[in-house]
Amino acid sequence: MFKIENLSVKYPDGTLAVDNFTMNISSGEHIALAGGNGAGKTTLILALAGIIESDGKVIVDNIELNKKNISEIRKKVGVVFQNPDDQLFMANIYEDIAFGPRNLGIDEETIRHRVDDRLKLLNIEHLKYKTALKLSGGEKRMAAIATVLAMKPSVMLLDEPTAFLDPKSRRNLINILKKLPHSMLIATHDLTFANEVCENTVILKYGKIFSQGKSSEILYDNDLMNRGNLEAIENDYNKTTKQ
Amino acid sequence: MADIRSKLTEFYSLEQMSLKNTVIHKIHPFSKLISTIIYIMCVVSLDRYSFQSLSFYFFYPVITIALAEIPFKMIIKRVIIALPFCVFAGISNIIFDKTIIFSIGGFTLTGGVCSFITIMVKSFLCVASVLILIATTPFSKLTLQLKRMYIPDIIIMLIEMIYRYIGVLMMQADSMMTAYKLRSPYSKFPHIKDMGSFIGQLFIHSADRAERIYKAMKCRGYGTLHIKQIQKKRMILNDYIFMSVVCLSSLMFLITGGQLNV
Ligand SMILES: Nc1ncnc2c1ncn2[C@@H]1O[C@H](COP(=O)(O)OP(=O)(O)OP(=O)(O)O)[C@@H](O)[C@H]1O
Ligand SMILES: [Mg+2]
Repeated sequence: MFKIENLSVKYPDGTLAVDNFTMNISSGEHIALAGGNGAGKTTLILALAGIIESDGKVIVDNIELNKKNISEIRKKVGVVFQNPDDQLFMANIYEDIAFGPRNLGIDEETIRHRVDDRLKLLNIEHLKYKTALKLSGGEKRMAAIATVLAMKPSVMLLDEPTAFLDPKSRRNLINILKKLPHSMLIATHDLTFANEVCENTVILKYGKIFSQGKSSEILYDNDLMNRGNLEAIENDYNKTTKQ
Repeated sequence: MADIRSKLTEFYSLEQMSLKNTVIHKIHPFSKLISTIIYIMCVVSLDRYSFQSLSFYFFYPVITIALAEIPFKMIIKRVIIALPFCVFAGISNIIFDKTIIFSIGGFTLTGGVCSFITIMVKSFLCVASVLILIATTPFSKLTLQLKRMYIPDIIIMLIEMIYRYIGVLMMQADSMMTAYKLRSPYSKFPHIKDMGSFIGQLFIHSADRAERIYKAMKCRGYGTLHIKQIQKKRMILNDYIFMSVVCLSSLMFLITGGQLNV
């Protein structure tokens, strides 16, 4: 269970990037976070993981986010960053995925199994001993997701997970995310993706919730989406993909 | 542009070696760390004229490199980068120390030349032994081991950050160089008038980048691990044997080496 109450984030230069945001994510629920450029999606995600300071309440599995139990929260909240380059910093993908579990004090044998398991789940076993420097954008993205899954988080926050992915990898990611039992908040511009993976969608505008509801209704509402600085999914396109 | 990237992969290729699974790689990090420290201390403490006894110390790099299946070239190439610095340290010896050690026919060997050579050899051995440690022990295990030995967190973090920052800085320089060249096709290198802002931006961008990487590290629990939580891997017989062979023989060469050289 993930509870967010009256969350606001103000940057030092005075920009109010998230304004009084309130939402609940029940366990296993996938929620899409849509909104134009600069709407505050990335900021919201960083604040929820306690990486940037915020006002308001964030409660994960009955633990409230504050300075004292920040490390407890980080065990439970996994973040996939907008840019996978920031997330891969070890000598190779194996070491990168093992980095998190090692910080939790897990023994090497268990880590090895866990890494193999995650690589297999995401179909990237062949990348195990490659350096991140030599991967393509899409491969980096998959590896970054694996690093987070290896922490066994209860909530996952993903920032633009489909950026850099080709149609096949995107399809692969959709199938994987649908299967995962974690609660998820997914910031994305890819609305057909949002529609497939998330039951519900929240639209953010100037840091505030502009609208929220069932993805299958909101994302097709032309008028609403226009007012939210977005474009609705085209109905024709929808018909062909749904078949 | 491509050359910075290839330098970078080369830089980390030594670390890639550390994931092999040979006899040397399997030895406990503690045992390797202590052996390396004792070995370096012995090499450094050798008398500066004790040229012959120094040759015994080649046993360690030669044997470990062979057993660990690391290409000799890889280690030697990196050691050579460090040697020019030692030339400056040793060169004054040749000029000032004119004591004659021995002469055969017309050829005389002065103390200065002798100590210059020992300084070079000593540096070679010390740098090589550290490189071998890095090439046979994953960096993360090494820092974990330091932590277990109660080295202050701040020092370990500094080591880790410097190590990662080199990569970040080079990657940043690489992409900025590419962007620069694309827009100024006639120059290979930033023009002197652009150099100031190029270097300034490079540091700002890479500091920013390092900050984001640090955030990502914290997200995955970096810095929350307590010493008590670290899983202890027990040392086995092989680890003790390795450590005692390296340490004892290093000490023995140090002691006997001094006597042989009266
Ligand atoms: N470090 C910062 N300092 C000041 N203002 C910032 C900072 N980072 C972001 N902002 C501002 O906060 C607002 C929200 O930015 P944010 O990055 O959260 O948007 P976003 O919804 O993720 O956009 P995008 O879809 O382009 O990724 C923007 O107006 C941005 O200019
Ligand atoms: Mg963003």
